[in-house]
Amino acid sequence: MTELTRGAYALPGTTLAFKTGTWRVQRPVHHYRPAPCHHACPAGEDAQAWLGLLAQGQPQRAWEAIVGANPLPAITGRVCHHPCESACNRGQYDEAIGIHGVERFLGDEAIRHGWAYPVAALGADAPVVAVVGAGPAGLSAAYHLLRGGYRVDLFDSLPLAGGTCRMAIPPYRLPRPVLDAEIERLLASGIRFRPQQRLGRDMALDELRQDYGAVFLAPGTQKNREWSIDGVVPRDLHVGLDLLKEWMTVGSMIQASSVAIIGGGNTAVDMARVLRRCGVPQVHIVTHESLPGAGVDPGDAMRAIPREIAQAQEEGVIIHPHRGILRLILRGERTVGIEMAHMKKLPRPDGSIQRVVFEGTETVLHVDQVIPAIGQEVDGFGMDDLLDRQAFFAPDAEGALPGHPGVYAGGDARPGRGSVSAAVGDGRRAAAAIDRFLRGIAPPAEQAVEALAFSQLNLNYFEHVARLEPPILPPGQRSGHAEIEGSLDANQADHEAGRCLSCGNCLACDNCWTLCPDSAVLKVTERAEDGSHYVFDYDYCKGCGLCARECPCGFIAMQEES
Amino acid sequence: MRQALEGSQAIARAVALCRPQVIAAYPITPQTHIVENIAKLVADGRLACEFVSVESEFSAASVVLGAAVAGSRTYTASASQGILLMGEVLYNIAGSRVPVVMTCANRAVSAPLSIWNDQQDSMAVRDAGWIQLYCADNQEAVDTTIQAYRIAERTELPVMVCVDGFTLTHTLEPIDLPTQEQVDAFLPPYRFSRTLDPRRPISMGTLVSPDFYPEARHAHHQALLKAADAILAADADWHAQTGRSHGGLLQVEGDADARIAILSLGSVCGTLADAREMHPELGPVKLIRLRAFRPFPAESLREACAGLTDLVVLERALSPGGGGIVGAEVKAALFDMPAPPRVHNFAVGLGGRDIPLETYPRLLQAVATQAPQPFALFDVDPGKLPVEDR
Amino acid sequence: MRMNATPETPIPLADLRRSQPRFQGIESGHRACLGCGEALAARLVTEAAGPDVMIANATGCLEIFTTPWPESAWRLPWMHSLFENTGAIAAGMEAALKAQGKSTKVLAFGGDGGTFDIGFQSLSGMLERGHNVLYVCYDNEAYMNTGIQRSSSTPHAAMTTTSPAGKERMGKRHLKKDILTIIAAHHIPYAASASVAYPSDIRKKVRRAMEINGPTFLLIHSPCPLGWGHDGALSIEVARLAVQTGLFPLIELERGELIGAMPIRQPRPVTDYLGLQQRFSHLFKDDPRAREELEHLQALAERNIEYYGLKGLHDDPRDSEGADTVRRGGQRWA
Repeated sequence: MTELTRGAYALPGTTLAFKTGTWRVQRPVHHYRPAPCHHACPAGEDAQAWLGLLAQGQPQRAWEAIVGANPLPAITGRVCHHPCESACNRGQYDEAIGIHGVERFLGDEAIRHGWAYPVAALGADAPVVAVVGAGPAGLSAAYHLLRGGYRVDLFDSLPLAGGTCRMAIPPYRLPRPVLDAEIERLLASGIRFRPQQRLGRDMALDELRQDYGAVFLAPGTQKNREWSIDGVVPRDLHVGLDLLKEWMTVGSMIQASSVAIIGGGNTAVDMARVLRRCGVPQVHIVTHESLPGAGVDPGDAMRAIPREIAQAQEEGVIIHPHRGILRLILRGERTVGIEMAHMKKLPRPDGSIQRVVFEGTETVLHVDQVIPAIGQEVDGFGMDDLLDRQAFFAPDAEGALPGHPGVYAGGDARPGRGSVSAAVGDGRRAAAAIDRFLRGIAPPAEQAVEALAFSQLNLNYFEHVARLEPPILPPGQRSGHAEIEGSLDANQADHEAGRCLSCGNCLACDNCWTLCPDSAVLKVTERAEDGSHYVFDYDYCKGCGLCARECPCGFIAMQEES
Repeated sequence: MRQALEGSQAIARAVALCRPQVIAAYPITPQTHIVENIAKLVADGRLACEFVSVESEFSAASVVLGAAVAGSRTYTASASQGILLMGEVLYNIAGSRVPVVMTCANRAVSAPLSIWNDQQDSMAVRDAGWIQLYCADNQEAVDTTIQAYRIAERTELPVMVCVDGFTLTHTLEPIDLPTQEQVDAFLPPYRFSRTLDPRRPISMGTLVSPDFYPEARHAHHQALLKAADAILAADADWHAQTGRSHGGLLQVEGDADARIAILSLGSVCGTLADAREMHPELGPVKLIRLRAFRPFPAESLREACAGLTDLVVLERALSPGGGGIVGAEVKAALFDMPAPPRVHNFAVGLGGRDIPLETYPRLLQAVATQAPQPFALFDVDPGKLPVEDR
Repeated sequence: MRMNATPETPIPLADLRRSQPRFQGIESGHRACLGCGEALAARLVTEAAGPDVMIANATGCLEIFTTPWPESAWRLPWMHSLFENTGAIAAGMEAALKAQGKSTKVLAFGGDGGTFDIGFQSLSGMLERGHNVLYVCYDNEAYMNTGIQRSSSTPHAAMTTTSPAGKERMGKRHLKKDILTIIAAHHIPYAASASVAYPSDIRKKVRRAMEINGPTFLLIHSPCPLGWGHDGALSIEVARLAVQTGLFPLIELERGELIGAMPIRQPRPVTDYLGLQQRFSHLFKDDPRAREELEHLQALAERNIEYYGLKGLHDDPRDSEGADTVRRGGQRWA
């Protein structure tokens, strides 16, 4: 029986006996939602997470978080078209986080400090998987399989690993020391690299299927597409990618005074820029597509990375968008020009898309070389069964080739790829699928989770802060292999990481802890179970929803009490 | 050491001897002299305390409440309108069971405006839950003030020391002021069981639901009843120390065999005693003085009234539309007696009207000649009344 | 999708509660309504003031919801006496502590009724006599505890149960009393207004007042979801808009002189603020008198902006947009 106290005094903090949580009809829960950068990353990186780690002063853990998805950050930080930044919610507030610069910084830091890839030692009886093609997809698959406890034999027809990164991306975008260092470190993490082993020449696919539990094929696209204008081809035809490879491996380049490059992808743009570096005065790009920019339908825009297009223009490359070539102008067998006209993709009455050439817009461009850079296809040598006379493999979303159990494919050998980060993503997904295949596990049920929308952030708690751009080599100083974009220093990388709005994840900003009128949010010294820094004390939480409303990051949701 | 002191001055000196740490007061005739005298003691460095000149009696009572719970001995004084303005706080102090001592320099309550003495003010707050002690003279006022601190602090109940305004406060009398050593020996340093302290952070003044409010009121009532023992003990101990006692709860003078007694509170008792000495021919009369009105000493009163045929209750206030306040309580107390005396209830000397010595024979004459009246104002001149009120 | 409710957390919550890295003046389990601005404000004030304080609390919501006997939410020595004597109770506490040579600071807490209206006299006396007391008024702009009656702090045109809107009236006819100017006229060392929407600003102002040996006054705008008619989740949003519209200027006064004001980066129209609250809903009816009152309130906001120079000249990290910026790790500027 409660006994009255003299003058009805009460002892401190005794309301704790009264559980106001019973009033609640809805409860706050920590509701992680992927940040748009995470959703947008073809390689599957969660930039929000690793930017957070860097902002907490843990660069090595940040790098480890990156390489949990993408083992090549020094490379992708340089060459990726960073759709993460286009998706970044901060772009709607002031300017997107410079994610690629920070990724590159962390990749370089790992090389500089020799941070070890998070790979555990393999058991003696580890199952073995074969990976064919040591480009980004193959490297990624090999690495993720290794992390999953598999021994990996990585085959490549060339003496050095790197694939497209080495054969198609010029050093001014990806300096070779960086490429070499990152790939060397990755291979040294425990991948058995078998160079100069070509499928169909040095080993047969059936042998691989017999000797290995599974095979991942990432051969890239080695076969040039057929190109002609109404069946006409100049006698001295050079193909863009071949010229690029030659320049990068041997250092030689054709001589010309005026060149038209046909195509709108990265190869076309790189080819154009290399030609400018080699002293060709007039370099033109002729493309069906439009220049990228605000309001341009991405389906209609040049596939090359916008910043590379802009830099090419700075370097004097002339781009002719929405242009089709009507004919080659030959003098004898030598090219002297092209006739082109304005054209555009337009819908037909039935809704299908056609290219329409506009009469009366014809112009002549005087060039002494025409270089097609319209893309490649898979060279089916040694894999004809699998390719079935198609230009690309057609695996399922995870990379499995239907009808060929244990065989997977990814990277540029899939249709619609063409970026290093997409290849890395393919490798990671295929590794996971192979792991499930070998262990006989069903794939997890896919749960579509929407990325956190800009409108779900509470922007009252953020200030406008300008994005720090990495240094760019002025056009006049761009020559040879000199890298164009520079690095952020540690302070600049921290600055950019500090700008992250932490979409859908805990910022550890203390707002919920500070603003709960009922002291029902408790701060956890280290981390709470769910990765936040706070726990809700449902004994006292009345469910007012203030914390959810004021969470800057959209990390708290209100859930009906059952 | 006996010295001639004005009542206010004597009370001020007595308060100072109790070493109060916080004093708050607002001017109101006639208590003003008390706090003026204390202010002078503080100004002269003879009393180290925080003297807070507040902006109202409401705040005076509030300041001493705040100070008392914060661990300091306090003092305040008021009268008349000031007591009424304090009213809400007086209830709050008592219900909070906080040991505060104050002087009520009794005075009439407006309207009509009167600045002179009666006891309407303290009677108006009799239900506030304070101990009320009424003093007959300034020596008693001095001694009771000192006793009041010990009573208050032992019982954790506030004590109101009632002293007739002007009649006592402005009168020069020879006073035996105790020494500081005597007071220190009698009154230990202030200690309040629920002192607010950051190291022991309790909460006071909580909201009590109907589930406990009656128990709280009952406890308060019982505490006041039990305080009678503390009042008696304080008076007895003071007597042991100084040789002076003031009757504890109730003082009886005169012939033990008398069949007639006059009961009153405060300084009028002195007038009656003088008159009784002047009029031995009127026969034996007992004089009963209620020193404690709260707690009401019903048992002692019944003992003092044993064998009486007539009891005159002479009081200095009234409850309009009801009658005597003291009278009603006395009658209620005597109701349980086997043979209660007849009770004659009169109010006298309201608003400072002089109570002459002739009041005594006139009262006895009334007892002898009239049937007991429920209540009457004894000294009203009907000729002065408006016609409709005669 | 990770969606973790915390009952599964292995951390014993009671231990965690005891080891929170802040001083907890008011404990959980109090009976304040959902999203109570006053409960939050009082927690922030006591948190900043620290443990060596003693509190005198006026009658009102704060008193009622924290101390339903036999319980108390307070972890500080605390006393509630009456509605109108808080200034005097605090003065008495302070006098006693001074007499005892103790340095414990006295805080006085009251609502707008207990401060602007019934307790104003004892507050004025306390200020005039120079007691070392920080008086905090939690301003929720009406008598909420007794059922939402208008006080002299109720804003013009707001509906309360004693200033209802109807055929003949558009809510409260009179203006909100300018209490700060009156307080400042006491020539006290420091008086300021603050808002629950800006916790750092509250902390700064409390700490500043705590350092002053003398009477100080803090007026904290504290939304009442029940009385103002908005969802409890919106308390901070509403408070923030009161500041950003100019209707509740955050100012500081020393010895009666204006020494600082939180600049408003981009003043918002008052309708942004008013529109969130039921107590102003009658102003959004199609009625010329309603339009007039909206214009009147806009004019009052503009007058504040002009009079106190609230319009910032540039983006200021301490202005109405920047003053509550959060950072990873919980670092705020105060």
